[in-house]
Amino acid sequence: MSTAILSTPFQADFDANSQEFSLAGVIRPRSVDEIAPSISAFRSAIEEARGVLYINVKRLAQMNNTAFHAFSRVVLDACRTRSDIRFVVVTSSVVGWTERMFRHLGKIEPQITVEVYDSKFYPGQSFVEDTSFIPILRTQTKMTWRHERTILPRHGMRPGIVMADICCGIGDFAVLVRKEFQPARIVALDHSKASLAYARDVAANFGISDIEYTYGDASEMLLEDNQFDLVTCRHSLQIFNQRDLLLKELYRICKPGGRVYITNEKNSHCLGEPRAQSIQWTYDEVARLFSHFEMDVELGPKSRRYLADAGFDDILVESFMVTNHDGDPQDFADVITAWENVYAGEMAVKRGDPPEFIERFRQGFRDHIFAALHPKGYAGWPIWAASGRKPL
Amino acid sequence: MNAAQRQPVETKFEPLLQFEMEMGTFLSDWHHCDQLSTYVARMISHNRTDPVRHSNFFSSALNELLEVSFRGGSPEGRIGCAVYRQGPNERVKLSFPCPPGHRQFFQEAVARTHRNDAYARYLDAISTDLAPSREVILLDLAINFDASIRLEEDKPRSVTIVVDLPLEGIVS
Ligand SMILES: C[S@@+](CC[C@H](N)C(=O)[O-])C[C@H]1O[C@@H](n2cnc3c(N)ncnc32)[C@H](O)[C@@H]1O
Repeated sequence: MSTAILSTPFQADFDANSQEFSLAGVIRPRSVDEIAPSISAFRSAIEEARGVLYINVKRLAQMNNTAFHAFSRVVLDACRTRSDIRFVVVTSSVVGWTERMFRHLGKIEPQITVEVYDSKFYPGQSFVEDTSFIPILRTQTKMTWRHERTILPRHGMRPGIVMADICCGIGDFAVLVRKEFQPARIVALDHSKASLAYARDVAANFGISDIEYTYGDASEMLLEDNQFDLVTCRHSLQIFNQRDLLLKELYRICKPGGRVYITNEKNSHCLGEPRAQSIQWTYDEVARLFSHFEMDVELGPKSRRYLADAGFDDILVESFMVTNHDGDPQDFADVITAWENVYAGEMAVKRGDPPEFIERFRQGFRDHIFAALHPKGYAGWPIWAASGRKPL
Repeated sequence: MNAAQRQPVETKFEPLLQFEMEMGTFLSDWHHCDQLSTYVARMISHNRTDPVRHSNFFSSALNELLEVSFRGGSPEGRIGCAVYRQGPNERVKLSFPCPPGHRQFFQEAVARTHRNDAYARYLDAISTDLAPSREVILLDLAINFDASIRLEEDKPRSVTIVVDLPLEGIVS
């Protein structure tokens, strides 16, 4: 049996400020004595708490019955002696059995309730998980792939590797990578069930059965530590508000000596001729609009700093420009149309922008399309591709 | 009706994986339960719709069964575990040596998972027992994993537990 599958020790922490007791990892003790320190920390947390104590088990990957009974005992006993306190168990929709197990406690004591953590915790998630994004993602990947297929080998892509594509969207990148580079294993994770269903359908239609599409939360993954030679995360760091958390997870699942590859945009550098000024104005506003929803679509050039702060070394950053001359200009125009629909049609409306603003905002996208389809025009969308090595 | 007559047609379940080891070796380290369940779960889940989550669920269930055999098994003989698949279901067949008289105990515990008061017993055990008994662990599998559990007739001094887990339906 290889040591790689030894379970990592579990964590039990109490945050007094948020009155939250968290259990994470794999808790499979032989007897209660082995987890006695955590049980007594849990007791003290309850003693200290006023009103509501949150019990966060979102990152609890495994817990055996011995541990479940021990922790349950403490909560149930507390319910009997403290009528002034309520318990909210926060489970993850990813780890289905924890929800099933903890729900029983509420049947015994009504002071205990279970909440399933879901997408509402990400400010921009509802836009990003919107199914109307699906066709855009597809065309986007088609356009970026022309560049990335030559870039990727410099960032650790090669045949036979074990890789993960985190925030895989509709999974077309995984399909392209599988065909071009033949990795030994690909895990592709996303938090959108609609995108995953689409990904699985596409794979099935191509007769592909070896890409492991999985539902998960990139900031709290069930994947084990030190597993992958290459972890890719494309166009997604920029949409997270807790970027450090995501990078920490990417780092965790990467093998020492392996690499994490990220791509991000700098939207204010989208450009076009003719009508450069109107285009420029709109994309400056795009960056502002995203930051309103705590997303940073200006992140591209900051990749080096993010990777360095997350502990990576041997950092490599490069950029490329997707243009209307890569393949069919109509593809470029279609992507911009989709951006206009979501950014001007949904996000600006949600922010409460006045109609005059929205009209001017839309005009820049239309001018970008005009530039893309103009026989002498030029339209560009710049991307930063960066990777870092997890030190040995 | 005895247990043998209730068995579904075995041929429909395809074997996926099986392992065997000396019970003495198995009992030498508690972590074998965790390691084996994690490993087997990974191996058999790779071609499920959501391999990572399937593996997490399966590992949970298998670990409980291995822990039962760890706590209730005796050191002479071998422990054997085989996993089969039929459509959305996995079947785990776990055999291990146990002290005389224990088979009777397992028969009763398994029978209770089929009774109408299974859920009430389970809740009662969570709210009053200090540590989970083997019976509660089987109830946990039946209630939280929709498992159906039976015993297979076996050599004396050993038990074979057969657990059907419809995990694909729960996971995806
Ligand atoms: C801008 S898309 C990029 C998709 C894909 N990598 C691509 O380049 O086409 C961002 C993706 O992140 C996913 N996502 C957002 N929050 C997530 C989370 N917490 N965990 C996993 N995926 C998430 C969304 O569902 C969406 O598919």
